[in-house]
This record gives sequence, structure tokens and C-alpha cells, in this order.
Amino acid sequence: MQSQRVLIVAAVVTIVFIGLVLVIAVVFRPTAGTAGGAAESGEVRTVAQRANVLVNSTNACVACHRTATPGIVQQYGVSTMAAADVSCEACHVVAQDYPGAIAHEGTWVVNSPTPAMCDDCHAAEVAQYNQSRHGIAAYVAVAGAQDLAPEHLTLYTNVPEAQANPDLSRNIIAALEGEDLTRFTCYGCHNIGRPHEDGTAGECQMCHLRHEFSLEQARKPETCNFCHIGPDHPQYEIYEESPHGIAYHTGGERWNWEAEPGTLTVEDFPAPTCAICHMSGFGTTGTTHDVGDRLSWFLFPAVSQRRPGYQDNLVRMQGVCLECHNPNFVNDFYTAADAAVERTNELVQEGQDIVAQLREAGVLTPEQFDEPIEYTIFELWHHWGRTAKFGVWMQGPDYSQWHGAYELLSDLAELRAYAAEHLEAAASDSGG
Amino acid sequence: MIAVTPQGFVIAGRRIPITRDQIMLLMVAVNEAFLGLDIYLAHGMNGTIRPYEWIPIIFGPVAGLLLLIAGVIALRRRREAVLLAFAVFAVSIVVGLLGAYFHVQRAIPPSGPGAPGRALDLAVFAPPIIGPLTFSLIGVLGVIAAVYEDPPGSGRMVAPGLFTWRVPFSKTRQYLIWVGLGILATLLSSVLDHGRFNFANALVWIPTVVGVFATAATIMLGLIAKPSRGDRITVLVSMVALIVVGLIGLYLHTQSGLVRGTNIVPERFLRGAPLLAPMLFADMGALGLIALLPSGAAAED
Repeated sequence: MQSQRVLIVAAVVTIVFIGLVLVIAVVFRPTAGTAGGAAESGEVRTVAQRANVLVNSTNACVACHRTATPGIVQQYGVSTMAAADVSCEACHVVAQDYPGAIAHEGTWVVNSPTPAMCDDCHAAEVAQYNQSRHGIAAYVAVAGAQDLAPEHLTLYTNVPEAQANPDLSRNIIAALEGEDLTRFTCYGCHNIGRPHEDGTAGECQMCHLRHEFSLEQARKPETCNFCHIGPDHPQYEIYEESPHGIAYHTGGERWNWEAEPGTLTVEDFPAPTCAICHMSGFGTTGTTHDVGDRLSWFLFPAVSQRRPGYQDNLVRMQGVCLECHNPNFVNDFYTAADAAVERTNELVQEGQDIVAQLREAGVLTPEQFDEPIEYTIFELWHHWGRTAKFGVWMQGPDYSQWHGAYELLSDLAELRAYAAEHLEAAASDSGG
Repeated sequence: MIAVTPQGFVIAGRRIPITRDQIMLLMVAVNEAFLGLDIYLAHGMNGTIRPYEWIPIIFGPVAGLLLLIAGVIALRRRREAVLLAFAVFAVSIVVGLLGAYFHVQRAIPPSGPGAPGRALDLAVFAPPIIGPLTFSLIGVLGVIAAVYEDPPGSGRMVAPGLFTWRVPFSKTRQYLIWVGLGILATLLSSVLDHGRFNFANALVWIPTVVGVFATAATIMLGLIAKPSRGDRITVLVSMVALIVVGLIGLYLHTQSGLVRGTNIVPERFLRGAPLLAPMLFADMGALGLIALLPSGAAAED
């Protein structure tokens, strides 16, 4: 026996270890429906299941705001940022001479941290965001570029969307509404790219709601629903009626919403959400905060154009698709959807040509939205043309048809009739 | 047949002019360099490598290079070479301890270490507290390898012309105990890392069970004054098992970073299963095998 002492001891230790593991597994076996049950199935705990790490905090901000704004402290306490030891001061406290700094309890703070603060830890995400339509391009689409500081103008001209929409003037509808309204209308969404005094632009917290900064919240389609809804770009509604949305609504509660970014697979998300297709690291495609990084077309203008370098974007998007769909399906779908965009372009272009004739003949004044028909002209492409195209790509047939192509045809018919009537009258007037 | 001389091994009549301690020093140099790379990947996962986090990343390869230089210097000036190597090992030990301190600090939430329900989470999800101590372990193994034992098997360690100290274990037993502790650290890191997904994949129990057995066997062999041939064979087998586990782990971790078997996704290597981590098992197995090699000191073995 003495000649095998090491073997005996090592075997005993190993057997005791395995025994202990089995005992622990039996004694602490979680019951179904508990947090432990979720943990056993490999799920990461949700915000509601996390401990509040600020419960015993003596941090001055926490101590005071626990009374002043307890909701914020509660939210932040269960956030992964607090667990990672990111203090309130890290995002809010700035130097006295920092643009926008306000005095607060003997220090200087910014009420709403800008991407400059996010950039301290999330540099890649901020850089990608600056390149995206969610960056300053969203703001310029309403406010125009005439009042931008030089650094913001530089930010804007580097965004691909700026090349597709070189009109830098203030949006006419916003001007008609006036600032009392636009604060609650246009800017409610377009402030996602608003410029800040410190030279940055954007509102990360529009998607990453304060103060939980929950992965689950940012990844769920309801977050995108804040803006991507309504007749001009009803992506959320289209998603809801699409097969992907049906999968989400009928099984999304079982998906791994808190999975580590960059490692997502079909095991975490058996069907995609907005974030999976456009942002998440999934399949062969890496994570991005540039929401246009995987898109082939500029779908938002009246007549759609290919995006610069769309072939690369296409590969990235298809890298996501191919996790579930075979290459033939994906290629056939892209071919058909491209053709649908081209057909929508033809119909919208016909409307644009009619409008050009009406202006040339003096039927329409150079000013926009001073005649009722111009609202029809606007809706033809801004609402129905876009909706038809979005419906095609996101596989929402009711939107591509009845809320899109059909409405487009209806407005086009109205416009044709209007043009025929007024161009004939104008010709008679000039002839007589 | 393997014969051992003070100048190296003689295997099947061919003289291999390298001693066990020199092999150990070479492994220590390689380990230092790879630790730098491993830490670069691990810290890069956060997206931003903070200034002081560059210390181990830069120190690792620099230490490896300095140790190789020390090896060359040792051919003519042994005292200077030992001095240089000792300096590297001392810094390595300090870097490891500092790293462990920083990782502990990062693991303490704003509410303090006593926050309810956090202890296990911090152990599992915080920066690995044990990880940086690998630098210290490698430094200690380097110190043991860089000095003579005089007389052989006595535990009297001599750095020629510098200093002498006494340890209650022979050099071989010191190697085995420290390698055993290294296997234990690797095992704990593996258990904590795999604990992040609740051991959902049954395969992760393989390194756990093999790690427990190898830890117990290696430390036990280090504690026995006169081990039998059977005892040595047990540890030898467990070291080979560690190497196999490391290679299987490397394959499985690589697979988790691949998509459909062909496309490599760098982001998954960064954020997913760490590529080099399983090789720590193989590394410990190799260090254990080196410790089992005959030292050339008859009195000891």
C-alpha cells in the first residue's frame, strides 16, 4: 500500500471533491421558477434578480440622492456599471471650466453626461455611433447645419448619410411647427444626435436608459419603438408582424437577454431583434454601434440609392442572416428586395417628375407646404414610399402592401389627376 | 535509457547538454512572455487597457527576453546572470502580487466588501484574483531553478557569490509543491471561469476532476520524503493528463470562437472562451514533468 500513497491520497481527494459537488448539487438544487432555476439553465441573471451594490454605500452622491432621487439610486445600484465600480462622479463630475458645467454641492457637474464621458470606457462604441445616422446626422435632418460649430459640422460631413442628403437647411415642417412644438415633436427623436457644448454629439442614454443601462432593455425592440414607429418609418410595427417579431413575441421571454456582447449565437437569440440584425455581434458579424453598417440602401430619401461600400455592408448583414437561413434563401431574398426597391423608386420618381412639371408650369409655388397637395406629395414618398421599402426588407407584408405600396399608388393617382387638371388649365391660361 | 550527468542528460547514448534547471528556466522565460500576451487579451476584453494595466503586458515579454539574455550571459559570467535573473524574478513576484491586489480592489463594489449577496458574484465575475499570481509562481520557480542545491537533496539553496538559504524540502520537492500550488490556482481559475455559465457544458468537468487529482497528487509527492516508483508514475500520468486536458481545452475554446467551422470571429476570441487559458493546464503539466526529471543529484533522487 505504501508504494501507492500518492495515488491513494489523490484518488481519495478527487472522490471526496466529486462527492461534495454532488451533495451541494442535491442540497442546493434550485426549484423551477426561481432565480436559481434561471441560473441552472445557464441564463445570466436579469436586473430584477441582481443585488443592489449601493445598499451600504457611503458615497456622498449616493447618500444624498438616496433621499433626493431614490429611483435613480435604486436603478443604478442594480446596474452592471455600479457592479463594475463606476461611480456617479465618473460620469457626472467635470472640471469647473468644462462646457456646460454647473456648480453642485461644492463640485462641478453636468446634468446629462455626453458621449465624451461614455468615450472614457466605450471608445469604439462612441466612434461607431458618430459614424451612424443615430449621430449628428439625425439632428441635422431637422435643425439643419447652419448653426453647427465647426467640430460638429466636421462630424456631420463624415457621416455617409450626409452625402446622400446634402441639403443642410432646416427642415421645413419643423420651421412651420415652431420651436414650442418641435421640442416635443421632431426633437423628441432627432435629439439622439444633438450637439453638445463640449464638441461631442449624441444621446447614448436615449437607447441605454438611465440609470440601469441594462443590456436587456437596450436589446429589446421596445427601445427602438420610441422613434421607429408611425407612418414615416413604422419599423417596430413591421417587425411585430414579421416572422422575426412573431418569434420574439411568442418566445422572447426565454432568450438570453444579458448574454455577453460579441458572443451572441442562435442559442441566445433563436430569432433576431432590431439590435441583432443591425448592431449585435452575431454569426460572423462583429458588434457595431453604427446602425447603417449593415445596410445596402439609403431607404429614407424619396428615391433610394445604394450606400457607399454597400457590398461590404451586405456581407455583414448576411453574416447574421446565414446563422439561420441558407445562402440560396438569403441571395434570392436580396435579389427580390432590391427589385422591389427599384420598383418603388420608379413610382416615386414618377411623382417627383410630375411635381417638377407643376413647379415649372407655375402651378406650384417654389415654397413648399403652402398648397394642400404638397402634403400629399410629401406623404407619397416620406410615408408610403418608405413604408413600402421598409416592409419589403423587414418582411411585413401588410406594411409593404396596404400601408405602403397601395397608399403610394393612391396618392400617385391623386397627383396625376391634379397635374392633368391644373397643367391643362395652366396651358389654357397661357394660350388664351 | 536516460542517464543524468551534472552537464545534462544522456538519452540512448546521445548527450543532451541541458540540465533540468535550465529546462525549467527556459519554461519560466516562455511563461513570462506568454503571460504578457494572455494579459493583453484578457484586459483588451474591456475595450480599454488602462495605463497601469500595461505593466504586466510589457513586463511579460521583456522578462522573457531578459531571462534569455541571462541564459547567454551565464555561459561566461554566472554571478551576473544570476543577479539579472533574480531581479527579473523579484519583479515578477511583485507584479503578480500587485496584480492580485488591483484585482481584489476592482472586485470590491462601491458599497464595500460586505454588501449582501455579492461575495460569490465577485469571485466569479470580478477580475480573476488568482490570475496575476501566476507571475509570482513563475518568479518563485525561476528562483528555485537559478540556484544550486548544496549538498544535493539538502534543501540548502546557494546563489553563488550572493547568498544562501535553507528550505526544509529538497529542490525537487520544492518544485513539486509549487507546481502543485500552480495546478491548484489553474484549477480554481478554471472553476470560477466555467462557473460563469454554471457548468452548463458537461465537458468542463473534465479539467475540474483532472485538476483536483493532479493537485492532490503533485503536492502529496512534494510532501513525501522518499516516494516510491508508483508514486512518481501516478504524478507522471496526472501531468500527461493535464497536458491532454489543456490541448482538448484549446480545441474546444477555439471551436467556440469559430462560426460554421471555418470563419474566425476575433471578437469571440476576445470576449468568449479565452484561447490561452486551457493551455495553463498543459503548462502546469509540462512544469510538473520537468520537476519529475532526474536532477543529476544522486543524493536526492
